[in-house]
Order: sequence, then structure tokens, then C-alpha cells
Amino acid sequence: MSRRRLLLAVLLVGVALALPHAGLAQYNGGIAPPDSATEGGSQINDLYWIVMGVTIAIFLLVEGAIVWFVLRFRRRPGTSFEADAPQIHGNTRLELVWTVVPFLILVAILVVTIVKVPSVEARPDAGDESLVVRVAGHQFYWEYTYGNGVVSVDTLRLPVDRPVRLELVAYDVIHSWWVPELTGKRDAIPGTTNTLDFTVTRIGSFRGQCAELCGVQHAVMRTTVEVVPPDAFDGWLAAEAKAQAAGASELGRQTWEGVCAKCHGLDGKGGYGPAIAGNSLLADPAGLAALLAEGRDNPQVDGYMPAVSGSWPGDGRQLEALLAYIASTPELAPAGADGQGG
Amino acid sequence: MAVRVEEQVLPTWKDGAVMRWVTSVDHKKIGLIYIWSAFVFFVGGGSMALAIRLQLAQADQEIATQGSFNALTTMHGTVMVFLFAMPLLAGIGNYLVPLMIGARDMAFPRLNALSLWIYMIGAIVLLGSFGAKGGAAQAGWTAYTPLSGPDYAPELGQDLWILGLHLVGISSLLGSINFLVTIVNMRTQGMSWTRIPLFVWSMVAQSILILLTIPVIAAALLLLLLDRQAGTSFFLPDGGGSAVLYQHLFWFFGHPEVYILVLPAFGIVSEVIPVFARKPIFGYKAVAFSSLGIALISMIVWGHHMFTVGLGDGLNGFFMVATYLVAIPTGIKVLNWTATLWRGNLTFRTPMLFAVGMVALFLIGGLSGVVVANYPVDYQLHDSYYIVAHFHYTIIGGMVLGIFAGLYHWFPKMTGRMYDERLGKWHFWLFTLGFSLTFVPQHMLGLMGMPRRVYTYDREGLFEVYNLVSTIGAWLMALAVLIFIVNVVRSWRSGPRAGSDPWLADTLEWYASSPPAEHNFDSVPYVASHRPLRDLRRRLGGERDG
Repeated sequence: MSRRRLLLAVLLVGVALALPHAGLAQYNGGIAPPDSATEGGSQINDLYWIVMGVTIAIFLLVEGAIVWFVLRFRRRPGTSFEADAPQIHGNTRLELVWTVVPFLILVAILVVTIVKVPSVEARPDAGDESLVVRVAGHQFYWEYTYGNGVVSVDTLRLPVDRPVRLELVAYDVIHSWWVPELTGKRDAIPGTTNTLDFTVTRIGSFRGQCAELCGVQHAVMRTTVEVVPPDAFDGWLAAEAKAQAAGASELGRQTWEGVCAKCHGLDGKGGYGPAIAGNSLLADPAGLAALLAEGRDNPQVDGYMPAVSGSWPGDGRQLEALLAYIASTPELAPAGADGQGG
Repeated sequence: MAVRVEEQVLPTWKDGAVMRWVTSVDHKKIGLIYIWSAFVFFVGGGSMALAIRLQLAQADQEIATQGSFNALTTMHGTVMVFLFAMPLLAGIGNYLVPLMIGARDMAFPRLNALSLWIYMIGAIVLLGSFGAKGGAAQAGWTAYTPLSGPDYAPELGQDLWILGLHLVGISSLLGSINFLVTIVNMRTQGMSWTRIPLFVWSMVAQSILILLTIPVIAAALLLLLLDRQAGTSFFLPDGGGSAVLYQHLFWFFGHPEVYILVLPAFGIVSEVIPVFARKPIFGYKAVAFSSLGIALISMIVWGHHMFTVGLGDGLNGFFMVATYLVAIPTGIKVLNWTATLWRGNLTFRTPMLFAVGMVALFLIGGLSGVVVANYPVDYQLHDSYYIVAHFHYTIIGGMVLGIFAGLYHWFPKMTGRMYDERLGKWHFWLFTLGFSLTFVPQHMLGLMGMPRRVYTYDREGLFEVYNLVSTIGAWLMALAVLIFIVNVVRSWRSGPRAGSDPWLADTLEWYASSPPAEHNFDSVPYVASHRPLRDLRRRLGGERDG
């Protein structure tokens, strides 16, 4: 008895020590999906709690019966191992009940689910126009393309309270776009276009990552969604369009960090992939463009470099921005290159 | 007479201790080879899991990353499913089915040996991929295309993975044919379909499932192999193929596979609980026929692995309804086992601990299955650690605990000796404690947004605490398995003699000596119920009293 109490005390102290470190508030301690910043995501959470409520009730009932039977019907001292218990072969009526009752419970869950389904992925009303963003999954980054041609790597900026439609595509293998605080995930599959509709109702920054195994760097295929007020969003989108056309945006840095650095290292000194800092190809627009578009099989090392530029804008602005960023970064630029390459 | 003829005919090279096992067509020897080798692979696959948990114990570690991590998760899953779980069940089935139905051997003893050795060759090919250039397969045990295709997995390891699974699949197919023919044709006098032991019923359901679904995965793997080596593009979108088609084919096999693994464990538990409760199973027919119900419904639920693919509300809804249907026969089983405990004379020897533990823990996996089968909820949970936790609750909580129950239960039959009760209990409590510590926190991790198959994470606080607890739990499970190994080795060599029927059980295998003679039985009593040995005891007892 005292040993059990000691164990309990140790356990409680451990929990008490762990709690202050824990980000309990934001993630519910993991007992449910995080509080959702979209209407559809909140519907999913409601459904989760409905199903959880039913399963917890069944859990308590059945585990309770098991524990009770185990304690109550243990062999009594003085009873021999082989002493017969009452030979009960079954009870048709009882068995019928525990077939029909679970069936009815499941039907109830199904009805509630089907009623809620339309609001899980609420498409905008006929009059409302969705903001459409094309989401391209690549090994190992997300490229977001807006209607006016603005592109962004790994960071998606969205307006609050405006319907959004993501068009998900993939350029190599299957990926899955998942930002738990917004809503459920949707796969990006090569050869098809999937859509995901939602309206964000809360300003903030939300993190997500690829949920479908997509290769060696699947774990670091992360993304951030920045949700801002609608006018701030409109201003940003217009300004970013101008900046990208003029080659004065952050696109080059984003591309280096999102597309190149995950394998070659932020400083280009190598990581999963070989070191490329100072490589002459980094200042060779034609050569680099070909490498990024076609990838490379390298029999000298295990593995290959995937083609990564399939979704880049046709006007070449992303490649130019990348080249400019490399040229302006001393530890990456090849020796002798003067900022314009070649 | 017959014995003397064999002695003269058998060539002398078969006399050595090793060759006697290698050339054996005796279902018991074949069963034991299956069990031993599958257990070796269990330790191997478990070691991979320990490495995975070490890497994930803390944020930003670098013990096994990227390609080697993906190879670990891929091979852990593949080894556990195809080299451990299926062969171990084949082994237990091989050992028990002929004994339980009062037969001398399987219907096709040589085919039986062929299954075993094809499985061995398949295992060598599969594990040989670790030695291939570029290492073992890395595309996950599901090997989704195009990731497993020629462009993204050019290494030979993926081809060896495919060929290894082909061989193991052929082995399972031959085995399932053998089981079905044996059970249909070789039951002893009086053993009608409602008098066969429930474990044998579960092997019937399992064999039907294997027969219907392994050919589908074999076809899918063949097409994948052609895509990789012959330039076709069945599953490659670049060549006009469909990546989603592969998923349909894979899961048409992949979901029934779960029941291929868990049904025989259900059967084991249905044998063990009545013996240690000194009662008949509550509702024999319900338990027997729900196995068939599970088997049939499980073949129309595969789409619930594909809710996020974008099949649309119609198909997602269909697969959700079908999945909820399969919960009903499964629930019936759990309730029948629970009711068997009611008013029993329960003795908690190790097999009973594992059997009741299985019912209690499998229930959690079954209920979390009801949660993830709800497809809008699955949008959040799919491919997250919640799924990892869910299926480990069904496979470990369901199958592995059931297998341990069976191994302890029939240890005296297989070896003639009794295992050590104290070590057995340590094994049970440590294993279930470690299991709960490993997988309860993984539900939370999934809900907090941790995808499966990631080699690292960058979040601290509770997220890291849960991961650390999970790793500690995994090592506790390893310790428990070590205790099991010590128990088996020690008891096999020097455990007390068990006698032919130490549990005073009900089924025919306990009528044979322990271990049974090569020909199993000198005579088999006429079977008049599903508990022939109990009937026999009562007759003998009655004679003594009278």
C-alpha cells in the first residue's frame, strides 16, 4: 500500500514539474484538435467532441464492467482452479441488445455527421468571390501563387474574414497541406487538382507542415500562414506585385531558404545535399535554370536532386530573385562573380 | 511397423539435428520454426522502433535522420507486418489447427514446408535490401507512388522490398489454402462446424481474407515493379497513370490485412478466457460468425485510409458508413469476452492476464477507430501521430497481447514444460505499462499537429514531454520482451514438467501428450460439443463417482 502511495506521489510531482513548461493553453494539452481559427475547423472540433463523448461513455461502461468482473469474480480462497463456474452458454436476448444498441448509437453519430458535413467545408455564397491561391507541393517546399502573379515560398499570407480557396497541386510526389489551427488537411497529388475552402476568422500566425511522407526532408517541409486584416492584405498584395516585378522583394531570400537551404544548408555549406556555396553554377542563369527545372541524378552520391522549379512563374522573376540574393550574399556567391553572374 | 519402414527408407543425411528440422514436413516442427523465426524478426523490427523513438525523444536530434530514418520506419512497418505478425500467426495456426481438429497433420504437409521456406527466402530478400546500394526501401510500408516510383526511389532497395513481399505473399497464399483444405476436410469424427474451436474459426476467416486480398496487393506490387523496371506508368502521373489507383489497390489489401493480423488473436483470446474462467464462451455462435462478418465487411472499408485524397463527400461518406458497420461485429466480440468473465471462477495466470489485458486495451484501439472513421474528424487526424497510436493499439493491444496470451497458454503443450509464473507476470505488467506510456501520449501528439514519419520536430514544452514519455515507454516494452525471452529459454530447458493438460482445458490439443508425438494422437475421442475434453472429464468423473 505504501509503495503504491509513493508511486502516486512521484507521479504527481512529475506532472506538477512538467506542467509549467507545457504550452497547455494553445493546444488543449493535446486532448482535442487545437481551437480552430476557421468556421469549418470549429465544426470538425464539435464533431470530434461528439464522437469522443460517445466513445468515452462506451469506454467507461465496458472497462468498468471488465474491472468489476475481474475483482468480483476472482477465484476465492479455498476454491480450486478447476471448480466449474455456472455454465452459461449465452443469452440471445442480451446479445441482440448489444448488437442493436451500438448500431443505433452509430446511426446517431452518422446522422449528426452528415448534417454537419456541409458546414465543415463551407463554400462561399454565390455572390461572394473567394480569394484563390494556388498551392504547389514540391520536394520539400510549398509555393503559393496569387491571382495577380505574386509568389511566395513556405509563407502564405491571407486576409481575415474573406473566403479562401486553395487549389492544391503537386509537381513531384504526393504532399498534404495541413495547418491544424485552421482546418483539416488535404492532399496535393500530382496529376490532379484538389481544392480546400475555408474562411479564417482570427488574425494571427499559424504553423503547419506536410503530412504525407514525401521523401528525405518531409519533416522540415513546414509552412506558416500569416492572417492579417483585409486592407493590410490588399495593400501587401499590390505592393508585393510591384516589388517582385522590380526585383526588389524578399522572394530571393525566401526561395533560397525554402527551396535550396533545406538540403544544402542555410549557409550553403551542405547538409543532406552537397555543399554548394561558391559553386560557379550559382552565378550561371542558364545552367542553374536547367538544373532547377530538370533535377539531377547523381551516381556519385546516394540519391538525386529533385526538379524544383516546376511551379515558378514563366517570366523568370523567381530565378532572377534567387540569383540576385545569392550574388548579394558573400558566403554563397562564387568567387569572381560580381553580382550579375557569368 | 510403420516406424521401422521409415527408418529404413529415410536417407541418413536427414538424421542430423538441423536437417531433421529443415527437411521436416511435420506441422508442429514447421509451426515452431515459424514462431522462432518470426520472433527473431520481432526483436529486429522492435530494435528499429527503439531507434526511431531514440531519434524522436527530444527536439532536433541527429541519431537517425532523413533517408536512414525513413528506411527505419519503412522497414519497421514491413518487418512487423510481413515477417513477424503474419508468420507468427501462421506458426501458431500450423501448430494448433491439426491438433485442435484431431488431425494427424495439415492436408498438404509438403506444401506446408514450401510455404515456410518461401517465407524464409522472402525475408532474406526483404532484409537484403539493407545491403543494397542506397540502403533499404524508404517510401513507407505503404510505398505510395510516385514516391516509390523510379524517379524518386531509384535505389535497388525498393525493388528488393517488392520482390520480398511477393515471396512472403505467395507463402501466405499457399498457407491459407492449406488451412482451408485442412479445416474443411480433416476434422475428426463428430466435429461439425459449430463444434470446432473458436481459434480454428478465426483461422477460417483469416484464410478467406488472405485468399481474397493478397492477390490484389500482389498485382499492385507487380505493376509498381513494371513501372520501376519496364518503363510502364500505371501509377505515374507523368506518363498518364494514376497515383491514387495505387492507394485503392494497396488499401483494398491493407485494411483487411489488419484483420488478417487480429482475427487469429481474437481466436486465441476466445480459447484462453473460457479455460481460466471455467465457463464456456458466452455466445459461441456470435463469436464464431462475427469473425466472418468482420472479414467480409473489412473488404469494403479501404477508402477510410484515403479520406484526405479528395474522393468527395459521397465516397467518403460511404466508407465512413461501412467502417462504422465493421465496428459492430468487433464490439460484439468484446462484449462476449466480457460476459464470459461474468460469474466465472477467474484465475489470473499469465495467459489470462494477457487475454483480459488484450480485451481492455484493444477496446481503446477500437474506440479511437470510431473517432478516425468519422471523415471530417479524420481530416485533422489522418497521417498524424494519432493514427500511429490508433493502429498500434489495435495491432499491439489487439494482436501482440493476444499472441503472448497464446504463447504462454500453449507453452506447456509445445515444450512439455511450464513457464515461470513470476517472470510471466513481470512481463505482462511491464509490457502493458510500457505500451500505455508509449502510445497514449502519441494520441495527444497527433492532435497537437505532429505528422507521422517525421524524423525531427522543433517544438518544445508539452510536445517534447510527450515524445520523451513515449520513448521511455518503448524501452520499458523492450525490457519486458527481454524478460519474456529469459522466461522462454530458461523454462524450455529446465521448467517443471507440465503434463498433457495442465489447464484442464476443453479442446482436443490437450488430449495429445506434451509435446505431442509426431503422429499427434493414438486415438481421438468422439466430439459431441465444442468442448470435447470437458465432456471426457465429466464422463470419466461420472464413472468414478458411479
